[in-house]
Amino acid sequence: MANVHDRHHLISEIDDEVNPGPMNIQFDSSDLRSKRPFYIEPTNIVNVNDVIQRVSDHASALDKRIHYYSRLSTPADKALIAPDHVVPAPEECYVYSPLGSAYKLQSYTEGHGKNTSLVTIFMIWNTMMGTSILSIPWGIKQAGFTTGMCVIVLMGLLTLYCCYRVVKSRSMIPSLDTSTWEYPDVCRYYFGSFGQWSSLLCSLVSLIGAMIVYWVLMSNFLFNTGKFIFNFIHHINDSDTVLRTNNSSPVICPSAGSGDYPDNDSMIFYANDTGVQQFEKWWNRSKTVPFYLIGLLLPLLNFKSPSFFSKFNILGTVSVLYLIFLVTLKTIRLGFHLEFHWFVSTEFFVPEIRLQFPQLTGVLTLAFFIHNCIITLLKNNKNQENNVRDLCIAYMLVTLTYLYIGILVFASFPSPPLSKDCIEQNFLDNFPSNDILSFIARIFLLFQMMTVYPLLGYLARVQLLGHVFGDIYPSIFHVLVLNIIIVGAGVIMACFYPNIGGIIRYSGAACGLAFVFIYPSLIYIISLRREERLTWPRLIFHICIIILGLANLIFQFFM
Amino acid sequence: MEECGSEKKMEKENLGPRMDPPLGEPQGSLGWVLPNTAMKKKVLLMGKSGSVDVEHSHVQFLGNLVLNLWDCGGQDSFMENYFTSQRDNIFQNVEVLIYVFDVESRELEKDMHYYQSCLEAILQNSPDARIFCLVHKMDLVQEDQRDLIFREREEDLRRLSRPLECSCFRTSIWDETLYKAWSSIVYHLIPNVQQLEMNLRNFAEIIEADEVLLFERATFLVISHYQCKEQRDAHRFEKISNIIKQFKLSCSKLAASFQSMEVRNSNFAAFIDIFTSNTYVMVVMSDPSIPSAATLINIRNARKHFEKLERVDGPKQCLLMC
Repeated sequence: MANVHDRHHLISEIDDEVNPGPMNIQFDSSDLRSKRPFYIEPTNIVNVNDVIQRVSDHASALDKRIHYYSRLSTPADKALIAPDHVVPAPEECYVYSPLGSAYKLQSYTEGHGKNTSLVTIFMIWNTMMGTSILSIPWGIKQAGFTTGMCVIVLMGLLTLYCCYRVVKSRSMIPSLDTSTWEYPDVCRYYFGSFGQWSSLLCSLVSLIGAMIVYWVLMSNFLFNTGKFIFNFIHHINDSDTVLRTNNSSPVICPSAGSGDYPDNDSMIFYANDTGVQQFEKWWNRSKTVPFYLIGLLLPLLNFKSPSFFSKFNILGTVSVLYLIFLVTLKTIRLGFHLEFHWFVSTEFFVPEIRLQFPQLTGVLTLAFFIHNCIITLLKNNKNQENNVRDLCIAYMLVTLTYLYIGILVFASFPSPPLSKDCIEQNFLDNFPSNDILSFIARIFLLFQMMTVYPLLGYLARVQLLGHVFGDIYPSIFHVLVLNIIIVGAGVIMACFYPNIGGIIRYSGAACGLAFVFIYPSLIYIISLRREERLTWPRLIFHICIIILGLANLIFQFFM
Repeated sequence: MEECGSEKKMEKENLGPRMDPPLGEPQGSLGWVLPNTAMKKKVLLMGKSGSVDVEHSHVQFLGNLVLNLWDCGGQDSFMENYFTSQRDNIFQNVEVLIYVFDVESRELEKDMHYYQSCLEAILQNSPDARIFCLVHKMDLVQEDQRDLIFREREEDLRRLSRPLECSCFRTSIWDETLYKAWSSIVYHLIPNVQQLEMNLRNFAEIIEADEVLLFERATFLVISHYQCKEQRDAHRFEKISNIIKQFKLSCSKLAASFQSMEVRNSNFAAFIDIFTSNTYVMVVMSDPSIPSAATLINIRNARKHFEKLERVDGPKQCLLMC
């Protein structure tokens, strides 16, 4: 008979790697009014005996009264909602049994946030750190070293400013109670259902883009893992055929001489070893392995609730830390190989300033993307006045991490034998499959991605089916069709276009256009206009941001 | 959804929004006496409503009293005209006038003016009517100021009401005061309440009950009660009332009507049942060894007695009785 107010933890534990996930999913309604009358002022807890605390008669009568009134009117009718001065401000929450006893819950809070600044910063960092970290060195290579570094810093600042606008957007809405709103709700307030649908679309673009990238990467890592194990068991050393460095820390250039597609060593021929040939036939990076994953992951996607998987979120942090460690170790072994050629491309080096830098900005748009759930993440901050400071610190840490990994991988890439152009879109591909350290990294990432993939699928399903059909689980048939489409897209990309850098930059620029560049600026301009505080400098500045976002997307197709 | 209008009226802070006629048990006095509307006494409930669109409606309770709700002091001039033109009609045959004042109203003068004009009409048309004034929304006043403000208002109202006598209550829907106010109003409306109490006591002693409550059928206000020993919870009447009303709401959603309930555990047994045509009874027995059947038979037998009581000494209207 006890009325326990259930707290869903999903929103705090879904750490979406590539694209921080939940849009508009308020598992934990922090609307205080909806939780009355379960709040009882501590003075109303009367000890009858020491074992069970009872509630005073006055509080119990108030509870019954409020219960009854709430049945008399519709939930939309505000006249019968207990006003603030009647229901005592909740200091603590008690589980209140109508029989009169009250139990204090230790861990419950009212949604006012129990996270210290440190935890909040860590959560933001963890949510932003995604698989786009694997493409940063490639992005730096595409932009040129100096340009790359500048672009990373500038994009960090730009997206930080837009994120700040997102966080502040709710406070500019004067008349409504926005305490439960996420950013898509704000968009809907300003732009009507167009805002709602476009934000849904952008969120889906980023989610499905993330899932495709995941599928490609998972096939890649699974392939390499299988190859490592096979070679390990059969003591095969296939190190001779691919362009590589000859020392203890080998780095390979898989795409040398094989055109655009980093193929899967199909040029390895062991004429007198049919066993290996058989293995090569059945364990092929782009022809077979993507399909093996279907049997593993498609069932997982159909689960109604993926909260089981959210327990594995710590793997994401472990993976990133391990990557940092790996990169540091490799750099120590390989040393720095940097030469600065400003505009000209040499045999081994790329110019410092290249025209393909929009590819890096596209990757970074997704790398710095957290705008659709930053409000929820900051809501749980204990000291709300530190929100902006914590956000800046988190962005700084993320920028530093990206810079660290990008610069170290780029700089340590052994350029005299290999060209910088060899840096792959997934920098782990530059290590041969028999390299132990990168094998461990691949295993970590593979396992972590397999646990995040169902979560992403769940988010996509909730948003798409929830908005289109109104029910997040209309029937197994609907869900199955959706999952087959998503998985099919992943498989097709893994077979024919496994360039994660490309996928990341296109989807990043597309969804970032709405959430990062256009909506925050436009909403700010509109709200200033309504308050009549719009000045020319501000207008021009924000219009420039919008133009930058558009240019970001357009140049993805040309550069 | 429809429900007994009088409850809704008492609960809502704003009087007078649209109300559907009550569903539920038809209340007539008795089977073979045709209710004569000219005989029915009115309970006038008046006050200022927040909404302009007002219908007055009839709610029957206590069998032969009709509750009329009027919004006055509103901005609607149509309503005002209608009010003034129909004055005599409205104020005839009034048994009770309940006037609700909003404690945070900014137009005290206007309120008093309306109140006085109502009183004049009462004096002309139904000079025997009883007057009750409710100073409502007291929860909006600071706690330490409440008594003071209420005393002031009471003084003013008493003064203005002369030569008529008025009783004042301070109420708020968010605490027990509203329920208590309505309970005392209803208490005054019942003509033979002392006799009822005496009979209730006899009944309780005979069946060895701990407590017996009599509820009015439509509104579940406690008309009278008897308890043989001190009970811990002073708010229990309102709580029971709210619980049963909520249960009745749920029942009516299924197109069923609430008739009776038995609640039992190792310490007590409680029976809520239809009693007379206007009342429900609740009997609380603390001796669980007494079988339910015994108590239910007792209640059934007592029913006839109380019906007779209601008829014979009943409200003055039912004189056409055998």
